[in-house]
Amino acid sequence: MNIKFVPGDSGMRRWFFQRITGIFLVVLLLVHFTIMHFIGTGETTYQTVASRLASPLWKTFDLAFLVFALYHGLAGLWVVVDDYVHKDGWRIFIYSLIVLGGALLLALGALTIITFSPQMLTTVKM
Amino acid sequence: MKKNVYELKYRYHTGSVAWVLHRLSGLALILYLVLHIWVISNLNNPAGFNKVMAFLNEPLFKLLELGLWGVIIYHAINGLRVILVDFFGGSKNQKKLFWGVVVVGIVVFIAGAVPFIGNLK
Ligand code: HEM
Repeated sequence: MNIKFVPGDSGMRRWFFQRITGIFLVVLLLVHFTIMHFIGTGETTYQTVASRLASPLWKTFDLAFLVFALYHGLAGLWVVVDDYVHKDGWRIFIYSLIVLGGALLLALGALTIITFSPQMLTTVKM
Repeated sequence: MKKNVYELKYRYHTGSVAWVLHRLSGLALILYLVLHIWVISNLNNPAGFNKVMAFLNEPLFKLLELGLWGVIIYHAINGLRVILVDFFGGSKNQKKLFWGVVVVGIVVFIAGAVPFIGNLK
């Protein structure tokens, strides 16, 4: 077989979105690192995360971050597989894993963000 | 052996080294992202989340985090270089652009590393 299994299109759309999402990720990552590591105490605790993630604005930010990073990273992985894996069977198998894994990670990440509501910590006993 | 027409040939120029590093850094980042989504899903359990975070506050992980910052800076700034070349015809200045990446990258890395280290206890 000389015809390679390449689902969808020629990759032109993927190529384009890889660049668009990359530009968005620069901004998102800079904000993320500044908030998490450069200002404040640099220590991550439930309390500091909860105080932000209670707000719909931060939920929106984190959701956008999740979608862009997952899309960009997995589309990148797709290209790498395209370059090194040449057997149809293996391609179908690995592409399926990428789609399935991506869906699971998107679900896990989105549920973490969307369903988040701050809880009282039970560590303080009176 | 049958000749594989899809075989990639590598040659070492600034461009190809930049490309290999971009690929490796991208793969490292996606691996990190998977672990990150998984760790953060602990948020549904406040006490458990704080336990995991206390563990990740160890010096070893802080050092890895600084390494992550470095990997991100390389991938981000080299990625912007690729975009410049692709969309804005930067190919005439390829080499200069690459060294620009190195210089800007070092500056941005240090700009982040200073407050990062200052925050360590
Ligand atoms: C910080 C902003 C980012 C920018 C500007 C950026 C830019 C780019 C660009 C332009 C490419 C295509 C390279 C090419 O076609 O030669 C690419 C590839 C890639 N990126 Fe990113 N990226 C960023 C963040 C990320 C993140 C957060 C991840 C991981 C989740 C990631 C993972 C990848 C992977 C796996 C590839 C494929 C590598 C390859 O095809 O050789 N990138 N990136």
